[in-house]
Parts: sequence; structure tokens; C-alpha cells
Amino acid sequence: MVNSTEGSERRVQSEAAGAVAVEMAGLAHRFGKRTVFADVNAQVCAGQVLVVTGPNGSGKSTLLRILAGLLPPTEGTVTVRVNGAALDAVTRRQYVGYVAPDLTLYRELTGAENLQFFARLRGLTLSRDALIAALTEVGLRGRGRDLVSAYSSGMRQRLKYAFALLARPPLLLLDEPTANLDVDGMAMVERVLAAQRARPGGGLTILGTNEPREVEWGDTQIRLETGR
Amino acid sequence: MATTQTRPPAPKRPADAEPSEPAPTPGLQGAWWKWAVGLLMCYVIYGAFAVGGTVNFAGSGNSGRIVFFHVPVAILSYVCYAVAACYAIGTLRRRDLRADAKSAIAMELGVLFCVLATITGSLFAGVMWNSFWNWDPREISIVIMLLLYASYLVLRGAVSEQPETRARLSAVYVLVALIPATFLIWVVPRLPWLQSLHPPDTLVRPQNTSASYKAVLYPSFLAFTLLFVWLFQLRYRVWQLVQRRN
Amino acid sequence: MGRYADTAGNRAVSGQAQAVAAKPVSWLDEARALLAKDLRAELRTKVALSAVGVFTFSALLLLSLATATLKEVQTVDILRLPEPISRDALTAAMHPAWDAPSKMGMLWILLCFAAFSGLSHSFVHEEETGTVMALRLSMSAGAVYAGKLAFNLLLILAVAVIVTPIYMLITGMPMGAPPVFLLVMFSGCVGLAGAATIVAALAAKAHGTGALYGAIGLPLLVVFLMLLLNAASAVFIIDPAPVRLVRDIGGLLSYGVLLITVSALTFGFVWED
Repeated sequence: MVNSTEGSERRVQSEAAGAVAVEMAGLAHRFGKRTVFADVNAQVCAGQVLVVTGPNGSGKSTLLRILAGLLPPTEGTVTVRVNGAALDAVTRRQYVGYVAPDLTLYRELTGAENLQFFARLRGLTLSRDALIAALTEVGLRGRGRDLVSAYSSGMRQRLKYAFALLARPPLLLLDEPTANLDVDGMAMVERVLAAQRARPGGGLTILGTNEPREVEWGDTQIRLETGR
Repeated sequence: MATTQTRPPAPKRPADAEPSEPAPTPGLQGAWWKWAVGLLMCYVIYGAFAVGGTVNFAGSGNSGRIVFFHVPVAILSYVCYAVAACYAIGTLRRRDLRADAKSAIAMELGVLFCVLATITGSLFAGVMWNSFWNWDPREISIVIMLLLYASYLVLRGAVSEQPETRARLSAVYVLVALIPATFLIWVVPRLPWLQSLHPPDTLVRPQNTSASYKAVLYPSFLAFTLLFVWLFQLRYRVWQLVQRRN
Repeated sequence: MGRYADTAGNRAVSGQAQAVAAKPVSWLDEARALLAKDLRAELRTKVALSAVGVFTFSALLLLSLATATLKEVQTVDILRLPEPISRDALTAAMHPAWDAPSKMGMLWILLCFAAFSGLSHSFVHEEETGTVMALRLSMSAGAVYAGKLAFNLLLILAVAVIVTPIYMLITGMPMGAPPVFLLVMFSGCVGLAGAATIVAALAAKAHGTGALYGAIGLPLLVVFLMLLLNAASAVFIIDPAPVRLVRDIGGLLSYGVLLITVSALTFGFVWED
């Protein structure tokens, strides 16, 4: 697909190219005196799935947060490249789809309103069909009009996926991907992973988990030890 | 499936090499200058009581002698804030906990000087106009300054368990509160809505300052400023030792 | 301040393939979206509105009870009257003891407390429910500040618009010169919203309670109130000199503008980790 660029207006097919690569070098993070993890090195290319495992408190969530550009690491560097150009932490967030237990969406809005709000922030206008498609993809079809406060925890998790996938990001970061999900939900996650792998131009997924079943989904694995 | 193991955490590096003396102020190292400050302060105290002719602040007579202490301390209480603001900018730009410590120390000393200024000012008012507190603009200004310092310390106390967050929030607060501080120093005492008992700008008018008077006042400024630097260095050294112990 | 404005050596943003977003989003659009979302959420849950509303209603009630007799007290400066003092001269020279600038001062104290009971909601709610992360992933910090400031400004303007006429009825405060009056009220709202927003952001990040919010905000508010009372005294003068108006009202407005400027510059450090 050709991307036309006319001045500052870019009409881009949202699933077009975006070859992404992630590189971590000597990454370490400390909270005060407590070292969460140290000396993490990895290189991940498009089309791959990286799994981060480790005991509780070993810093999986922290690592994912750093990768998303939400937290600067105490030491080391994270380089996320999209189409060869390295992105700084703030710009990186636009290219990231993030799902985590501590991510919350607005309870006082409906599922549809949440998606429309976040879509608007990304410069997307969700038509009615697009909205229905987004909800159907995560198995929330017909529940878009309910307030998120009325959702079950599994439904909230599904909505988080819808949020993460709004802009079809090249980099998907999933912290405990199947938390609160039933069997259908787990199948949905597997579909998402497959779609990300098959993404034109290449998509990359990094999972943080301890579930053996989810660990199977990865091509490469990093194990974090509890820091001193 | 290839597995990439992380290496075990690297051995803990020794703390960043901190000099045993705090960040050196040019020329102010060692003990010699502290002796000099001590002597200077003795001179100031003696001069304050011995300077010939009375300091004629609105006919204040001998009670005006407190001015030699009150004015430097009051000005210093505002200067402390400026120092804290500079270090706050440094904290935000470099994400440096040392700059944050310096900022906090400057604010703590600001509380000290603010309290001294309030007390000396109140004493002067009590002797001069027979009432220790008048809600006059400069008095209001110094009290709100004290409130500002106190709020800063309250904010720091609320986030005390996360040093990095505390550094950022304190620095931002210092910079945001710079606006009210500036207004307090320059605008509030001159608001037409507030009447003033405080002698306006008496120091600046040359007819009020004889040579002997200047001979005590200017050294007093110097002495108190150096005292501030000394206290600052002491507090910073304590902080460094605490850091090293942890 | 647009998210795509950072082109310093960042080739992924310019030219070639950009995998996300059909169009660039300016900070203004982001802020507007946030404001719309906040308004919708607020109209649905009415948390801040009810906090402010209940407080304001109770305060007005108490105020009207407490000042019922105070309003009637008249005062006269005998020393200014020519000798011999006649009853007519006295009656003509009498004016309310609780004069118009003081009434406006009381109104603003009320509004300050109203602000501080309701304006923290915007940030504290985000922090408590944990939606900060989703916002940080989707918006630039500057746009968040702009959106929240706009929300708080609208809220305080709404409160001012509703409360002021009621207050004027209760206390008999005159309007003075309408354009000057409106300008002072608007400048006051700007200053109040500016102070309240940054303090709310700081207190929310410090996971503080309402007590912390009040403690941090108090010095900012006290200076603001003094400037406001000074400007209030200018509102009720007949034929004020323009330079006096510019100085007093300009001073009040400048406080708000300066606070907002510094807040906008430093907000990023509060918002981001």
C-alpha cells in the first residue's frame, strides 16, 4: 500500500507498513534503594512474540511500562524503532497498544463512549460500523451502550483490548494477557496475537506473564530474577 | 524456543563519589572564613548598640537599632526562596536528587529566617507603636511567606516515601508558588487597598543613612548572608552523610 | 505542542509510513476531546457539581442569616461633615458600614471555598480510579493541562454566574460599573481556576486528601484574594481613573495569567513519571 504524504496531511491506511523493532540494552530499574531488575538485554524484531516471565515482584509490569514509554529506566536504554527511526518515550506511546491490570478505562462512560474518546485522541473517527466491528472483535458486541461500571471484570479486560487495538499499533504490550478472561476470551487473545504476527509490515508483541500456557505463545523468552 | 536468561544483577556500585566537603563555594572552603564571619557578627552586634546618633526611623530613637538585624533577616528570608527556586529548576532539568536536597534546605532555612524576621519586626512594632501585631502589609507579607514555606514542607511530608516523586512535586511547587512569592515581595506591600504603618523605603533615602549607620548595616547584610551559606553547607553535609549511610 | 510537532531528527513522524492515526491531532483537539469527556462524565455523575452546589447553598444560607442585621448598619464619618452638624447632613452622609468592596470580598471568599471543594475532583478522580495511565498513553501532557483547566474554568464560571446574582439579592451588593464588574469577576475566575488546577494536580499526584489540597493551595489563594479585594475597591468607585483600573484589574488578571503560564510549563513534570 502506498502512503501518500501531502504536506502535513497524511492519509494513511491504518494497517500499512510500520516495521518495528525493539532493543533493550543494559536495562535496569530501581525504586529508591530497591533494585527491581538489572541488566536486561534483548532484541525483538517484527513478527515475533517475546515473553517476559519471572516471580512476583520481579518487575515484569515495570519493564512493560518502561517499554511503553511511561517510565524512564534508571539505567540502560530502550530503543523502539518504527521504520528504522528510533522514537523517544513520548512519541513511542502512539505506536503502542497496552493492556495491563492497572490500566483502567472510564467507569462512568459506556464502552462505546470510551472507545470513541480514545479514538478521537488518536485522530481516528469511529464510524458506527467501525465501532461495532471493534466491539465484536473483542466479543463485546451489543454491550457498547452499557456503562463500564456495569461490566464484569472479564468484559473490562476485553474492552482494554479494544482500546489497545484502536489504532492497530505495531507494538503490542500485554501484561497478564488473559487475566479475568474465560475460554472465549483466551481464544480472542490468541486471535489478536496471530493478527499481530501477520500484520502487514510486521507487528511485535511483548507479553508479561507467568501462565505456562501463555509462555508457550512466545518465540523468545526473558526471565527476570528478583533484584537485590 | 530460545531462552534468553538475564545475568544476575551486577554488584552494587559504590555511591556516586561525593566529595567529603559539600559543593564548594568559590573561596569559601575550610574553617578560616567561619572565624571571619564570627568576628564580623561580633562587630555587627557591637556596632548595632554603639553606633553614634540614633537611627531615626520615623522618630524611633533607640528602638530603631533592631533594624540592623531585622532588615537583613527579612531580605534573606526572600532570598532563600530565590535560591530554592534556582535549585528547583536544576532538579527538574537534571532529575537530580542532590539539587532537590539543596532546594529543600534553602526552604528550611527560609522558614528560620522568616520566623526571625517576624519576631524582630513584631518587637519593633510593639516598642514603636505599642501593639505587637497590626496586620500591616509587610507583616501580612512575611506571614504568608511563612505559610508558603510551611505548605512546601507539608507537600514534601506527604510524599516522603518516594524521593523521586517528592523531588519533582516539590520543585514544581516552588516554581508555581514563585508567582505569589513575587507578588508578596513587591506588590502586596504597595497595594493601595492596604494602608501601611511600615516605614516605606526609608533605607533607600540617603538622608536617613549616615556613614556610621551604613558602616554597621552593610556588614550586617554580609554577616547574615554568610551565616546563611554556613548553615546551608552544614545541612547539606548532614544530608550527604545520611545518604552515604543508607 | 501537537504530538506530531516533535520532528527533531525523528524520521518516523515525517514522510514515510506512519502506522497509526488517520490524521495528526493538535493539542487543541486533544484538550477539547478531554473537556467533552469530562463534561459528559460530570453531567452524568454530578460529583463535583453536587459538592460545589451543596457547599455553596449552605454557605449562602448561613451568610444571609449571619449578615441580616449587619446589612442594616449605617456609618458616617463625622469628622468630614461641616460644623454645625445637622440631622439632614448626617442622613445624607450615611452609608452602609458593610461597604460594597467588603461584600465583594465576602463573595469571593465564598467562591474560593466553593472552588476548593469541587475543583480538585478532575485530577483526584483520574488518579484514584487509575485512568491516568490510559490518558498518558493517549494524550500529551500539555493537552491534559489545557483540558482540565478549561473544565475547572467552566465550572467556576458556572458557579459564579449562579451565585453572584443570588448573593447580590441577599446582601444588596451593587453592581458598580457593569463592564468593570464583569471584568473583575472574570479575572477572578481565571485566577481561581488557574490556582485550583495546578494545586489539584500536585495534591492528586501526592495521593493527598482534601487537607493537603487546602494546605498547598492556601498561600496561592491568600495572595489572590488580596489582589482581588484591591481590584474590588476599584469597581465601586464612580468615574475611576483608567490608569487605576488598568493597574488594579490588570494586576488581578496578571496573577491568574502568570500562574497558568508557569503551571503549563511545569505541568509535564507533575504528570509524567
